[in-house]
Amino acid sequence: MKEKGILLYKRILGEIEKKIQIHPNYVDLHNQLALLYMMEGDRERAEKNLVEALRLNPKYREAILNLGYLYAELKRWKEAEDIFVSESKKHPQDGFLHHVLSILYFQNGKRKEAGLRIRKAIQCDPYYRDYYKKMGVSQKGIVYLDQKTERVLKKVLLNYHHANFHSFIGIYLAKEGKPIQALKELKKAEKLEPNKSLFHANLGTIYYHQGSYQKAIQEYQKALRIDSHYGMGYANLSYIYGLKGRTREALRYMKKAVRLNPRYADFRYSLALLYSDRKRYKEAISELKKALRINPKYLFPRINLGVLYEEQERWREARREYRKILQISPGDEHIRRRLEGIS
Amino acid sequence: MLKEDFVIQSNIRRLLVSYNIDRNKIDIGTIRGVVYVRGFFKLTYNTPESEGEKLQGFTLKTLTTFEKRIRSLPGVSDIIFQLVDWKKEKKEWVRVEAKEEKEGDREGKGDSTL
Repeated sequence: MKEKGILLYKRILGEIEKKIQIHPNYVDLHNQLALLYMMEGDRERAEKNLVEALRLNPKYREAILNLGYLYAELKRWKEAEDIFVSESKKHPQDGFLHHVLSILYFQNGKRKEAGLRIRKAIQCDPYYRDYYKKMGVSQKGIVYLDQKTERVLKKVLLNYHHANFHSFIGIYLAKEGKPIQALKELKKAEKLEPNKSLFHANLGTIYYHQGSYQKAIQEYQKALRIDSHYGMGYANLSYIYGLKGRTREALRYMKKAVRLNPRYADFRYSLALLYSDRKRYKEAISELKKALRINPKYLFPRINLGVLYEEQERWREARREYRKILQISPGDEHIRRRLEGIS
Repeated sequence: MLKEDFVIQSNIRRLLVSYNIDRNKIDIGTIRGVVYVRGFFKLTYNTPESEGEKLQGFTLKTLTTFEKRIRSLPGVSDIIFQLVDWKKEKKEWVRVEAKEEKEGDREGKGDSTL
């Protein structure tokens, strides 16, 4: 790490150490601190914080994976194996987990299992198929388990940790309102691990912050090529096209976001706005009702529903919705006036 | 004049992002050009607690600018603020002490996305 990088790292470490004293039960802070300690080589403190994070929330996946990685680094193979085997059972299509397991088995002299995991990683994720081929680990269906393979596998694992570190620093800087520095860090992360959808999504968000919409679109599309189930990616694309006034594309992407996240009321509300803007009122009303079924306390779909009913002269239904809004938000003069207007 | 609610909504989302307003604590709705803003107005800056007062001053400035920017968006006819932690008195924003309901960080929902 260069001197400038060390100073930045020390500053962030100091700030998180301060925050954790104030909020000792904040799980994210323990995970972040562990990531920083791991980068510093202080594995003992890293482990302590990861164990604490998982004590507070045993299902916290980032901390689980980081702890597995740490055990692998500490050559505590069995503990690392238990973590990654358990995760790969939960996420059998995650090529990275099979890849990590191949390294663990390889290190343990379990070559047959290592080969099987490499094959699984290839089956699950075309990225690993291409990567292993490029690095000479696999050729025409044959997996070569030699020293060269060991080096390649280790490098990917090391990249995983460094990429997560740069991603975290990037996000931290972005939240400090420093998008240019953040972008540099996130690009480092993406370069180390180009197959991680999340890194492209974060890059997309930074470009979106900066108003570089075309670049943002490209990054979200890359994220979606890697993970086609990333609903938020489609929603973000929809919002960017909305900003550009291209509502036809916005509608197409928001429909996909809703299909992938049918229980996300906010997406349904956005889809309803798009239908309503295009005067497709029947579909708009249907989406607003669905949003309210998901979250009956979500006020905005109810307001939009009331106004749409009113515009269609469905007075009784409009009054019913307005009254419900006033029960939740009695000080809403805008709705009170609308209700008086149709009473 | 532009009257599409989704376009207005997308523009406001962009403002939330560019002003580092915590989107987990605020809700935005748009209906026929009327914009609703509900919830807590918080910034997402990583600021140590000791800088609380400085942050409050900055939050006030951001809120004032945020309001102006929304009003200047094409198609926006009115804004209805229903904030829990800020209220308007004689056209000025005033901080209100309010207990937060959402404490997502405590659960460790993951801090790896923006």
